[in-house]
This record gives sequence, structure tokens and C-alpha cells, in this order.
Amino acid sequence: MITMSKSFTVNIQRQDDPHGPKYSESFEIPYEPGLNMTTVLQRIAANPVTSDNKDSTPVAYDACCLEEICGACTMVINGHVRQACSALIDNVLKETTGPIDVKPMSKFPVVRDLVVNRKAMFESLKRVKAWVRVDGYHDLGSGPRVSPHEQEDAYPLSKCMTCGCCVEACPQFNDKSPFIGPAAVSQAILFNANPTGKIDSEARLEVLASRGGIADCGNSQNCVKVCPKEIPLTDSLAKAGRDTTLYKLRQFFGR
Amino acid sequence: MAHPTESVSLQDKNYFLMRRLHSLLGLVPVGAFLCVHLLTNSTVLAPGVAGGEFQKSVERIHALGPLLVPVEIVFIFLPLLFHSLLGFQIVFNSESNAQQYRYGGNIRYMLQRTTGILAFVFIFYHIWQMHWFGKPLGGGAFELHDAAGAATGAMTTAVAIQQAWWIAPVYAIGVLSCVFHLANGLWTSLITWGITIRPSSQRTAGYVCAAFGIILAIAGMGALTGFYNYDVKSPPPVVGDGHASATSQGL
Ligand code: HEM
Ligand code: HEM
Ligand code: SF4
Ligand code: SF4
Ligand code: FES
Repeated sequence: MITMSKSFTVNIQRQDDPHGPKYSESFEIPYEPGLNMTTVLQRIAANPVTSDNKDSTPVAYDACCLEEICGACTMVINGHVRQACSALIDNVLKETTGPIDVKPMSKFPVVRDLVVNRKAMFESLKRVKAWVRVDGYHDLGSGPRVSPHEQEDAYPLSKCMTCGCCVEACPQFNDKSPFIGPAAVSQAILFNANPTGKIDSEARLEVLASRGGIADCGNSQNCVKVCPKEIPLTDSLAKAGRDTTLYKLRQFFGR
Repeated sequence: MAHPTESVSLQDKNYFLMRRLHSLLGLVPVGAFLCVHLLTNSTVLAPGVAGGEFQKSVERIHALGPLLVPVEIVFIFLPLLFHSLLGFQIVFNSESNAQQYRYGGNIRYMLQRTTGILAFVFIFYHIWQMHWFGKPLGGGAFELHDAAGAATGAMTTAVAIQQAWWIAPVYAIGVLSCVFHLANGLWTSLITWGITIRPSSQRTAGYVCAAFGIILAIAGMGALTGFYNYDVKSPPPVVGDGHASATSQGL
């Protein structure tokens, strides 16, 4: 098959509503060079007929930036979580001899077909106060200076788009565990390092040192492998381990 | 998926502390005991009178006399029990996906959990075999001395291991599981406590922990081979002042 053939098959796991049963449908897609998974889903929407010639409906999916910036289009393609918009079909076809397998992420509730609700991630970001607190609308003057060295450490962490790849691949992020996940831990570390964000560092450490915090990580390091933004998540996790230990010791000895 | 904890249980409240204790107890005393135990056992290979060196080492431990059992309970069994119980909970609350994501770290994550369970099964079988009713399930109980006061530490251990054909393989799996679990656990504990942060330092630590594991595995397998090949009919070695009254045993 591969690139020589004129068409390829995509197997998609579908679900009509949040409670509906899961079912699978395959679609035959004419091969074109330069396709990505999002364009494939557009082709299906334009002609929603399955491989066995049954009329179907367009597959629901999320997309926004189309350049791996927003994280909306994250899904599991051939068992590997990634963004649909940057999943080039030429590469995806090389991974398998059979049809391309497409599923929604498994760690979030499905809204419809490939659309999931990533609310759990945003709730985690709220828990760790993943922001810099700025009080009111009045002019606060210029912020503190940030050295180039600090900027170099912070920039990679700031690239997170809350796409969900890391938590999808994390064996510790599941229904049985309250783990907030590596993305939120890393954001807590980012804002704790920010000269203005530091104000809330104790509150963030308190969350990291409580149930669902850093102690729920099991060091499989899948997160750093699958992160499309190549964020040094394991550095953040180990730093969280160090900072929470020191925080608890300070607390114990009355700082 | 993550959900906010509505009911805050006692465990939830102290979870961080409990996990740090879990990690610490895995290293000391449980991990430290494993090192000392395997090195002690490997003295069965020492030259000289068969089992003589081993007998001397065990006598030193048993010199604690009536204190031995309380010391073992406080420094071995309770820490091991705490680590194991929390360990099982950790295992049951994780969803390994090493089939899907075949990264080295993920495979070690899965093995850490598998070897933890194997270690648990092995250790309890092993203690039970060495100390109590070894006979029905393939074993002879460990005795430091026989009724006449002769030194029988190595001999009875060897009997326990040679009792049936499947015991040595079970020991091999048990020893290697414990050693992998400790060596890999040492590596993860350095991350848990935030000692190795950058990938480069974690890689270096990986080599050190692997070397540590290999050395410990050699000691353990050496001990096992020593007891497996031990001639149980050889005369018991005479050691120390041969104090016949020292029949105190561990648990
Ligand atoms: C080469 C394999 C091994 C041999 C020949 C061996 C031998 C023995 C012997 C002879 C005893 C009784 C000692 C006494 O009562 O003083 C003992 C006890 C014990 N062994 Fe092992 N062992 C081996 C591997 C292991 C491993 C891998 C573990 C895992 C942690 C382990 C854990 C224990 C424990 C917890 C006790 C009870 C504590 C005690 O009574 O001192 N053993 N072992
Ligand atoms: C020979 C006896 C044992 C030794 C020496 C030992 C040692 C260790 C060490 C040093 C760690 C690393 C902790 C960290 O990453 O901070 C660890 C982790 C672990 N142990 Fe054990 N352990 C033993 C027995 C067991 C048993 C019987 C279980 C029960 C299933 C178990 C389950 C676990 C689990 C699940 C972890 C991973 C924890 C995590 O990822 O944070 N262990 N162990
Ligand atoms: S850390 Fe990486 S994988 Fe995780 S949500 Fe952010 S961008 Fe996605
Ligand atoms: S290192 Fe921790 S956070 Fe990252 S995937 Fe593994 S368990 Fe999850
Ligand atoms: S559409 Fe924004 S990352 Fe794919």
C-alpha cells in the first residue's frame, strides 16, 4: 500500500453524544501529497460515505490554529497521541501497513466523535494558580527585571498549550487518581519562578504537596516524550519534588 | 482523569508525607537490609571451611539474642509492610500503558510495579519457608545450630533451597526482582526527592544505579549458586567458641 496506492483507509472511533455507545467507521480517502489528519477529516466532511458505501455523517473534530499552537485538535492517531493538524499523512502511513487508526483522547470525556472536554486540565491550572496576579486596573509601574538566564529557563515552559498529550500518555493520570498532571505541575514551576508570580508560590507549593500533587507522579517520563512543544516536563517534576520537600521542611521547622 | 477531592480522607490529608515515607523506607531500612542480606548470604562462597564464613556473619546478627525479634519487627517487617501496602495501592491506582508507549522509562515504570508485587510474594514465601513450616511447600527451616550445638546455618539454608527442583528458580526470580526494584527505585527516588533534575544528571544516575544493581545481582545470584551447590552432607563447620547454648533464632 503506502504511498504507491491511490487511496488509503482511516478507521475512526465515533460516538454520537457524551453518553452514546462507541462505534467504528472506516473511510477511504484518495491519496494526495501533503495531507494532514485535519484535512483528511475535512475530506470526510465533504463526502461522508464509509468504505462500505454507507451514507454517514461528518466526523466531529476540534481545530483552530492549524499550526500546532492551540492544542485543540489533539487526538490519538495509530495509538500515539498528537495534534491532527501537524500529523502529516505521509509520515502516519509509514507507521502502519493497515488502516490509520484514529481515536479521541481516552483521559477526557468525549463530547462527540473526536471532540473531548479538557476541563480537567483547566481546573488543574486553576488549582495551581497558573497566572501572575495583577491587582486592579491602575498603573503598577514597570515589573521587576528578569535576567536573560531566567528567561531562558522560563520560555520553554511558557510554550504549553494545554493540549493534553502529556496527561493522555501519563499512566498516573486516570479515573482512580486525583493527579493534576504534568502540565499543571510544570506551570506551577513556571509561575513560581516568575518574579511577580512568586507572591503565590506558597499557595502553589501547598497544592503540589497535597493529594493529586507531585507525589502522584510515578516517574515513567512518558509526558516529556510525547509533549509536542518539547517542554522539559521532567525537569519541572523533579524541581517540584525538590521544592515541595524544602517547603514541607520549612513548614515543619517553623521556617 | 483528575477530579477535585470532595471528601478529604485521612490518607488524602497526609498523602505527600506518606509517599515520602514510602520512598524513604524503601531505601532505608528495606533497601539497606537487602544489600546487607545478599552480601551476607554471598559469604557462603568464601574460601575455607564450607559455610564457615556465612555462619560467622549470621552469628554476629544473632548476637542480639532476645533483641533480635523486636529489632527485626521494627526495622524490617513494619517498614516493609508499610511500603508494601502503600505500594499495592499505588499499583492498583496506576494504568500502565507500556504496550502503547514503549519508551524505556515507561517500561521501567511498569517493571517497578511488577517487581514490587513479585518481591512481596517472594519475601513472604521466603520468610515462611526459612522460619516455619517449610516442609509442606518445599523447604527445610533455617537453624543456626542443631541440638548438639554444631553450626548448621549454611547447611539448613542449603537444604531449604535444594528441597525441590523449582525452589532455586523461584529464588532466582525473587532475588532479581528485589534487586531490580531497589536499583530502579534508587534511580526514581533521586527524582522524587529532587536530587537529579536535568536529563543529563538523571542519565548519569542511571548508569550508577545500573552498576549498583548489577553488583547486587551478582552477589545475590552468587549466594544462590553457593547454596544450590552446597554439599548438605558435609560436616558442619566449627566456629567461634562454639557456644552450644546459642539456639536463639530470628522469627
Ligand atoms: C540468595 C538468596 C537468599 C538466601 C540464600 C536467603 C537466606 C535467608 C536466611 C538463611 C534467612 C534466615 C536468617 C536468620 O534467621 O537469621 C533469611 C531471612 C530473611 N530474608 Fe533472605 N535470603 C535470600 C534472599 C532474600 C531476598 C532477595 C530478600 C528480599 C528482601 C530476603 C529477605 C529476607 C527477610 C526479610 C528475612 C527475615 C529476616 C531475618 O530473619 O533476618 N531474602 N534469608
Ligand atoms: C525488597 C523489598 C523492597 C525494596 C528494597 C523496595 C524499595 C523501593 C524503592 C527504593 C522505591 C523508590 C521510591 C521512590 O521512587 O521514591 C520503591 C518504589 C516502589 N515500590 Fe518498593 N521496595 C520493596 C518492596 C516493594 C513491595 C513488596 C511493593 C508492593 C507492591 C513495592 C511497591 C513499590 C512501588 C509501587 C513503587 C513505586 C512508587 C513510585 O513510583 O513512586 N515495593 N521501592
Ligand atoms: S506540557 Fe506539552 S503535552 Fe502537556 S499540555 Fe502542555 S504542550 Fe501539551
Ligand atoms: S513522569 Fe510522572 S507526570 Fe510524567 S508521564 Fe510519568 S507519571 Fe505522568
Ligand atoms: S489546530 Fe491548533 S494545534 Fe492543531
